[in-house]
Amino acid sequence: MSETFTPPAAPPKAPATTTKHPPNWLKIVATAVLLVVLLLLPVIVGNGGVAYLKLAQYILIGAVGGIGLTLLVGQAGQLSLAHPFFLLVGAVGYAVLAGDPEESDDLVGLGLPPLVAVIGAIVLCGLVGLAFAPVAGRLRGIYLGVASLSLVFLGLWLGQSLDMFSGGTSSGRNAPVFALFGFEFANSTPAPTIAGVAIQKQQRLWYLFLAFALISYFLARGAVNSRIGRSWRAVRDNEAAATSMGVHVTRVKAGAFVISSAFAGLAGVMTALWLDLVKPDENEFTGTYSLTVAIAFLAVVIIGGLGSVPGAVIGAALVFGLQQFFLLGSQQFGWFADAAFGGFSAVVVSAFVYGAAIVLVILFEPGGMAAIGRRLLARRRSPDVPSTDDGGRTTPREDRS
Amino acid sequence: MNTFLQLLVNGLGKGAVYALLALGFVIIFKATEVVNFAHGSLVLVGGYLVYELKDALGWVLAAVIGIVGAALAALLIERVLLRNARSADHNSLALLTIGIDVIITEEVVRRVGADIPFIGDPYDSQPIQIGDLTVFRTQAIALVVGAVLITAFLLTFRYSNWGVAMRAQAENREAAALMGINSSRVTATAWLVAGALAGVAVLFMATQDFSGAGLGRGTHAIALIAFPAAILGGLDSTEGAVVGGIVVGLTEALSAQYISFEFSKSAVFLVMLVVLVIRPSGLFGTKELSRV
Amino acid sequence: MIAARRAGRSALIAGALASSLLLAACGSTADTAGGTEGAGGVITDKGVTDTTITLGIMGDTSGVFKNLGAGLNAGNQLWADDVNAAGGICGRQVEIEVVDHGYKADVAKTLYPQLEPNVLGMVQLLGSPVLAALEPNLIEDDMLAAPASWSSEVLDNPGIMMIGTTYDLEVVNGLAYLQQQGLIADGDTIGHIYIDGEYGGNGLKGSQYYAEQHGITINEAKVTSTDNDLTGIVTGMRGAGVKAIVLTTTPGQTASALAANQALGLNVPVLGNNPTFDPALLETPAASALGNLYVSASNAPFSSPNPKAVEVTTEFKTAYPDAPRNAGITTGYTEGLVWQNVLEAACEAGDLSRAGVKTALTTLTSVDTEGLVDVLDYSSPGSPPTRGVYIAQVDGSVEGGLREVAPLFTAPEAETYVAPFQES
Repeated sequence: MSETFTPPAAPPKAPATTTKHPPNWLKIVATAVLLVVLLLLPVIVGNGGVAYLKLAQYILIGAVGGIGLTLLVGQAGQLSLAHPFFLLVGAVGYAVLAGDPEESDDLVGLGLPPLVAVIGAIVLCGLVGLAFAPVAGRLRGIYLGVASLSLVFLGLWLGQSLDMFSGGTSSGRNAPVFALFGFEFANSTPAPTIAGVAIQKQQRLWYLFLAFALISYFLARGAVNSRIGRSWRAVRDNEAAATSMGVHVTRVKAGAFVISSAFAGLAGVMTALWLDLVKPDENEFTGTYSLTVAIAFLAVVIIGGLGSVPGAVIGAALVFGLQQFFLLGSQQFGWFADAAFGGFSAVVVSAFVYGAAIVLVILFEPGGMAAIGRRLLARRRSPDVPSTDDGGRTTPREDRS
Repeated sequence: MNTFLQLLVNGLGKGAVYALLALGFVIIFKATEVVNFAHGSLVLVGGYLVYELKDALGWVLAAVIGIVGAALAALLIERVLLRNARSADHNSLALLTIGIDVIITEEVVRRVGADIPFIGDPYDSQPIQIGDLTVFRTQAIALVVGAVLITAFLLTFRYSNWGVAMRAQAENREAAALMGINSSRVTATAWLVAGALAGVAVLFMATQDFSGAGLGRGTHAIALIAFPAAILGGLDSTEGAVVGGIVVGLTEALSAQYISFEFSKSAVFLVMLVVLVIRPSGLFGTKELSRV
Repeated sequence: MIAARRAGRSALIAGALASSLLLAACGSTADTAGGTEGAGGVITDKGVTDTTITLGIMGDTSGVFKNLGAGLNAGNQLWADDVNAAGGICGRQVEIEVVDHGYKADVAKTLYPQLEPNVLGMVQLLGSPVLAALEPNLIEDDMLAAPASWSSEVLDNPGIMMIGTTYDLEVVNGLAYLQQQGLIADGDTIGHIYIDGEYGGNGLKGSQYYAEQHGITINEAKVTSTDNDLTGIVTGMRGAGVKAIVLTTTPGQTASALAANQALGLNVPVLGNNPTFDPALLETPAASALGNLYVSASNAPFSSPNPKAVEVTTEFKTAYPDAPRNAGITTGYTEGLVWQNVLEAACEAGDLSRAGVKTALTTLTSVDTEGLVDVLDYSSPGSPPTRGVYIAQVDGSVEGGLREVAPLFTAPEAETYVAPFQES
């Protein structure tokens, strides 16, 4: 077993910094177009395309959670499969903090304002992450990965047992409606419109999720490019060297776990709002907070490129979006419609694509989507600069993002 | 007391199968430092072959083909995919096996379709009564087969050329290569053996007595329980895998009865967690010498 | 614990009702409030044109319930074919739009908005996690849905059209039958293995009620739907000296419990409700142990001598010669028949809008499905529409694997049982 999660990889340095080069117009224009598309998405899909909006919201949940995990696994080198557990804590935490105390005698609800509850749920997740940090700090690599898996099992059991918080596996409990300064993220009459499209609950949730995702994105990039990020990478690459440079290894590792858990907590709140429901799973393999989700988040991080924040967003689009997109498409356009019982249905095909994506990325582009993107940009910037693809059998990781 | 004995017998029988699976993880890990997340799908490949062939060829021949099939599937994964990956990082390769696992599992489950294949024909659902004690034949045979195979393996591992080569490689890959040990062959053999053990294990797993269900996602899930077994014993210890398997089998059986059934799976993971906190490399795992 | 979410949900329903009343009062937009007038002077809004009525299925043909799901879909379709061949309903042909969610709540949540605008209501909605996740949507959209799950815990939503009786009553009736046959007695200990969740929890309510009435002690064991080996639990129950075991489990778990029951020499009668049995179990090594299983279900078993059941199953065998023959077929057909009654009543009242259909449901006091299920009364929301069940015993020699031992049976205890949202 190597002593850190990854052997010191030769991280590809960005070939040049922007100060030496003219501004990268391609990048700027692409970012602007993307932002406009995201902001206008409810108008683009219209009131009839709410299903696609729902899908887009789901991708953002994956993105927020994925960003948190990529910091932990890619930047700080700690393999964790416990993400679904923190999602569960976040979702239940939000329901408990914001829940109406009058709702039911059997449920704990503190009736806090929703925004306070969201922040509270995130803080709660961070604290739970901190509680696990001493264990995480002692373990490395795959040992940590499997150890963190026990939290998923624990979550299943706690969710079933503590039904005054979770609502129980039977029916769960309502996810309190989010509201900001009296503006409810629910349907209303009359509803405001943008370009003739009514801005109802799902459209409002989209903007809320987009805000959550953007905040997460910039916070994560800020962390990566700051002192915190440098200390994570120092610990990841060589603990002894990091210590000699004055990095407090235990504290840095714990910090990474706390931050990652907090992101997962926000993703959990989003899950509750997305499903209109907080309900612990009925078993450990299928469900909202299950092992399948643990693997899915890991796939997000791998496909995106370990440690890359933008990569995690693209990974989320592929992993969280693909299956549902296939299903929507097969419903709307009749893809795989003639699949017989037990044949290649949309569900089966999407699983193949998902598995193949993981295999192909690691086979041919261990740096994931992030490496591909970086190469595209680098090539565009200056044809003389050698591409980051050095052909070495190492796994490039992000140093900056 | 009867209940306790009964649970003990069941727990040991299952523990033997977990040990076979955990041993597979450990062998591959020792040879390549890769954790094979696709072990569950190797189990499914072996089981599926038995199910497809047993009516035409008879159970014994089908079982042999199943075992060989699982071994070859493992070899194929190593030769075609892992060997050609551009990343040599063991953890990335471990993640690659997750992708393989998703595909194989989905395909086997799709092929099985609406059927519920049970593949323990010669022994399944034929309990033996010893006084008040019921011994499930599947568990009893699993225990015997497990004991024989594991002993055989440990002896081979200790005394054969392959075993020496593999231990050398696990110790120090560079030095082993300098001594003329063919790393490629050692690795291939390790995957073959691990696959074959998975092929044997499934003959007991997809039965009424063992899992209560036929071949399917549930079988795949059982392979996951062998994970804590391997970790608990220490990923690079063959003896550890055996002890880990038995501990997991007994923990599961006893906690289900004496604490609560729904707690039993968490119990397995909690036991593992406690062990890891005390010994971060498992019970018999090699301690890391690097100290910060 | 169950009442937990309900209270909140009732408030939600009240809110939705209030807002729709408010809308009606304002009368500003006739379109959203009342729908438009279509062919034959009938008011319509979503899912109904002058020539067609479209109903939706959110089913499972790829997930854990794919066998049952395929049967249900086939049953629904058989009904639609029959109706259309007889000239349709209200001068319109019935069309069914099928969605497969693979028993995943997140997938269902995304697919629902795509299906919703096209359909009047749901002829079949499979899966309790899916139903739980979609419930706010159903209320919001004023949608009537026939769930392919039978928990009395969902009856607070007037948009849920229960087809037959509920899990709790299936168990009450089943236990009463066992006692009538002398298989259990007052003061006994019985075991109950249940899946934690809406399905198992509701079944447990039934045995708890029955136990209270008869001084019976219940040895409870909670499992998840993926635990397939129940040997350990049955071992424990043998130690506790149970005289019978009640199951609200999956078919695979049923087989395991019965195999252990026989192997451990316990050999007590086992009572299961509708979803516990699948004829595919007769092909497994547990087949010889299944004889101890009594199944208490709303629906007539596949092999029922009931003429309507025979008609449906014969039709099914012609249309789908190779498909698995399970209880889903008659259940799916029955769902269709009840929808037919609702649609005909709504047509008569001149209102095929979603609201009109929901109102029409409450006017139905005796829906006759020709014995596929007991006569159904939808006039008291919150109360299951019937309390009668068929009791059958596993018998490998009959088609579908179940032999009817008591036709349409309602125990006195079932009459006195008060369902969670029953008024009075």
